[in-house]
Amino acid sequence: MPQSAEKVLDHRPLFREPEYQAMLKNKKEKYEGGHPDAKVQEISDWTKTWEYREKNLARESLCVNPAKACQPLGAVFAAAGFERTMSFVHGSQGCVAYYRSHLSRHFKEPSAVVSSSMTEDAAVFGGLNNMVDGLANTKALYDPKMIAVSTTCMAEVIGDDLHSFIEQAKGKGSVPKDFDVPFAHTPAFVGSHVNGYDNMIKGILEHFWKGKERTAGSKINIIPGFDGYCVGNNRELKRILDAMGVEYTLISDASDNFDTPSDGEYRMYDGGTTLDEMKGALDAKATLSLQAYCTPKSLDYAASFGQETASFHYPLGVKATDELLMKISELTGKEVPEALTLERGRLIDAMADSQSWLHGKTYAIYGDPDFVYAMARFIMETGGEPIHCLATNGTKEWEEEMKALLASSPYGKGCQVWAGKDLWHLRSLLATEPADFIIGNSYGKYLERDLKIPLIRLTFPIFDRHHHHRFPTWGYQGALRVLVTLLDKIMDTMDLDTNEAGVTDYSFDLTR
Amino acid sequence: MALKDKIADVFNEPGCDKNQAKSEKARKKGCSKPLVPGAAAGGCAFDGAKIALQPITDVAHLVHGPLACEGNGWDNRHAASSGPTLYRLGMTTDLSELDIVMGEGEKKLYRAVKEIASRYAPPAIFVYQTCVTALIGDDIEAVCKHASEKLGLPVIPVNAPGFAGSKNLGNKLAGETLLDYVIGTMEPEHEPGPTDINILGEYNLSGELWQVKPLFEALGIRIHACISGDARYREVASAHRASVNMMVCSAALINLARKMQERWDIPFFEGSFYGIADTSDALRQTARLLVSRGAPDDLVERTELLISREEARAWARIEPYRKRLAGKRVLLYTGGVKSWSVVSALQEIGMEIVGTSVRKSTEEDKARIETIMDDPHMYDAIPPRDMYRMLKDCEADIMLSGGRTQFIALKAKVPWLDINQERHFAYAGYDGMVELVRQLALAIHNPVWGHVRAPAPWDGEGRVSLAPPLRGEGQGEWQRQSRSQSAQPSEPLAAAPRVNPLPAPEAEARGEQDQPSRASKRRFAGHEAQDLGEC
Repeated sequence: MPQSAEKVLDHRPLFREPEYQAMLKNKKEKYEGGHPDAKVQEISDWTKTWEYREKNLARESLCVNPAKACQPLGAVFAAAGFERTMSFVHGSQGCVAYYRSHLSRHFKEPSAVVSSSMTEDAAVFGGLNNMVDGLANTKALYDPKMIAVSTTCMAEVIGDDLHSFIEQAKGKGSVPKDFDVPFAHTPAFVGSHVNGYDNMIKGILEHFWKGKERTAGSKINIIPGFDGYCVGNNRELKRILDAMGVEYTLISDASDNFDTPSDGEYRMYDGGTTLDEMKGALDAKATLSLQAYCTPKSLDYAASFGQETASFHYPLGVKATDELLMKISELTGKEVPEALTLERGRLIDAMADSQSWLHGKTYAIYGDPDFVYAMARFIMETGGEPIHCLATNGTKEWEEEMKALLASSPYGKGCQVWAGKDLWHLRSLLATEPADFIIGNSYGKYLERDLKIPLIRLTFPIFDRHHHHRFPTWGYQGALRVLVTLLDKIMDTMDLDTNEAGVTDYSFDLTR
Repeated sequence: MALKDKIADVFNEPGCDKNQAKSEKARKKGCSKPLVPGAAAGGCAFDGAKIALQPITDVAHLVHGPLACEGNGWDNRHAASSGPTLYRLGMTTDLSELDIVMGEGEKKLYRAVKEIASRYAPPAIFVYQTCVTALIGDDIEAVCKHASEKLGLPVIPVNAPGFAGSKNLGNKLAGETLLDYVIGTMEPEHEPGPTDINILGEYNLSGELWQVKPLFEALGIRIHACISGDARYREVASAHRASVNMMVCSAALINLARKMQERWDIPFFEGSFYGIADTSDALRQTARLLVSRGAPDDLVERTELLISREEARAWARIEPYRKRLAGKRVLLYTGGVKSWSVVSALQEIGMEIVGTSVRKSTEEDKARIETIMDDPHMYDAIPPRDMYRMLKDCEADIMLSGGRTQFIALKAKVPWLDINQERHFAYAGYDGMVELVRQLALAIHNPVWGHVRAPAPWDGEGRVSLAPPLRGEGQGEWQRQSRSQSAQPSEPLAAAPRVNPLPAPEAEARGEQDQPSRASKRRFAGHEAQDLGEC
């Protein structure tokens, strides 16, 4: 056997050894009862035709490879952005394990979330006891300052009422009366993680603001929205705001919680918006959302107190950043400092330096609605052409907004918008109407393999590459980072395409 | 011949009009412009010799000197090869301080040559002199002679140390090296035919030779040796057996063309593959000269047929760009032959040439410019400051130049297209001209210029005026000054904050989107529309 204790082979080389190859071949031929290779190939080819695409797009009930997650994931992410806050998901614990692994695999950081571990009896008799015991245990075991409660589908289906349960639990002494336990109902069968984010933020706002009197001040609140790049982006945002001298409160800032140092101390909680800041946030002059589709309810709630509100679609790119800075400047009366004007000029300089490489490149972009919007917009700023813009959790409203954006530039003319479609749809779309590059997350690697279209990872979740989220994509510095990411892929692709020694040397250029 | 005499000889070039127009005394001084200390300048003689010879693909190019002469010049020209790759290896003797102090250079050179011969067995080794080794008196000619005898393969000294003069002089010294050591030393692999030609001064940058080669092949004309693009040593060594020489880069290898005529009676003409009329003219002259040397008479007629077919095809492909490019003003800043050869083609599609530089052009080049341009603005070298001003004052919509000046254009907020060696696209022949026009259209209409030209949407103090700021784009300083608006997609606030939604522009009716059978066409059409449409 090729495997030996002296030199243990990993699965990659091991299963290529002749013994294993022979075994796999034997198994396939004798026991698998599969179709002949030619038939498999024929069907595979057929799935890339227009005929199949039509059948695929006609799918009504089945969703294959969705590019979205469920509400509680968004709620857990939102709660992670507050000081010493433990997310408590009321429902079955398996769901919670998924959120934790999702966040952990993306951020390469521990993600502490607890559940009320509902089982069959709880499903039949209601989950009140689980809530009562769960809150008490959470406080005792993990010493949080706040417990943010959301729900899985199980609790939603049986109709558990969080408000009443939490009141009852407090009444039974589970946690003290004045202990902060905000909550949000987050059924996974409604919307997606962006709605869960909204619900949880609104729940926390309600918890701190409800019934309070607002004294209008001059600070502004900023809600970043669900963002896999929050570590880099929130820090960049704070740098920009500090440079402008703006007084602000970030509402949910998970940048430190998902990026703790290795210094021998385990931090179950780190950083985040403090509870005092949350109380003070009621008096803000305005609340801005950086991702409109992540915050409709939260913004309405803020507006109901008389705060000004405004929302953006992910401040990535030149114009998107301009708009944000100008709104902030307008609201606060603070000037945009010279340093940022210079950064802006440098970004544009870099875009001009590389323009000929980016011009006319075509892209399929998928992800959350705000991200896809911003990305398509920046692509058009570089002279690229989006071909397909897809958001499984995109709404009709998003589709309209996307179409308006694309119609505003000649580079958007050839683009189709696909709201509510999944990645299996995208496979058909790209097989029949290909793009030069796919922009998305790690799940795009299957499309990359099937269709031989290079994937550019720029949005959550990124499981198979490390640390991208530590660098910003927002602001002018962030756009520079995104620009380099695009260029690297374009030129790597070009090198790969010309790297056959003795055959394609003529295009394997040192200077590009 | 000593280097000094060689340089004097090269400078006294009877084939050069400029030289012949001078007085005897002026001629003695040579024709290199004095280098101006302290002023930014181009490459040296070493670089000139290296770039002229390095495209010979199957030989080893060994630079005798400290590391950086080769280190900085290594593989930087995109001179493409259809086969051997030895020429792209960066080989140098990498002299150290001790070698220089102790005079170990020649020994090290010999050992390096020997190593190359045993490891790579190339058909020849070119050895390049550099400033340091020339200053310490290393006699590379003697070492090469010795090595040739010992190792039994041509080891060719290229004596063009950097301090000898300009890059152009280096080109000429490379030509002299070929005359002294290479051409005429071997016989061709195949029987020489009546339609064999050499192309001199064509380096196959980005594969440009390959754009025109099929044209010659279609006429039954064989390119025996291209000096030196995609060349093999034997082709160059037997170049004396060709019937006609076409000289492409006029200033660079005129001495080579003239001396080949003297020694082997090969007539030459000067031509260019840049531009449609010039490509046709080059084919025509080649055919005429070949017929005068004994090629079949019908070659002329067949050439005309090919020309009319190819020209019609090229114009048909260029036509769609006319709308986007007509009236746009171009500043050409390049050297030599490109200055006039591109002019006529751009004028054909209605572009206006606001100026062309003639810093490396011959008198003949200049004369041609005068005949084809109504009001020729010829510039000698334009100092960066002046160039910046010209571009800043909106005297041009785009500049075509080499990589070194691109940043001046960018800082002056003017689109720029690379037409020198670092370009990524080949622009020779009919196909090349179509590509150039396409790239021009792309560069001029790139959306990044909208950002480049528009100021940051706040004032100099960083203050935001409360008027809707984003619509200001398209009415900036630049647009007011510019005669022809570089059309920019104004992005009408599709992403306006929701609090203040603005009417989205009317979405384009794209009914065909739902008809799958038309999709491939639709995609193509989409591209075209974007290329051609007003943006």
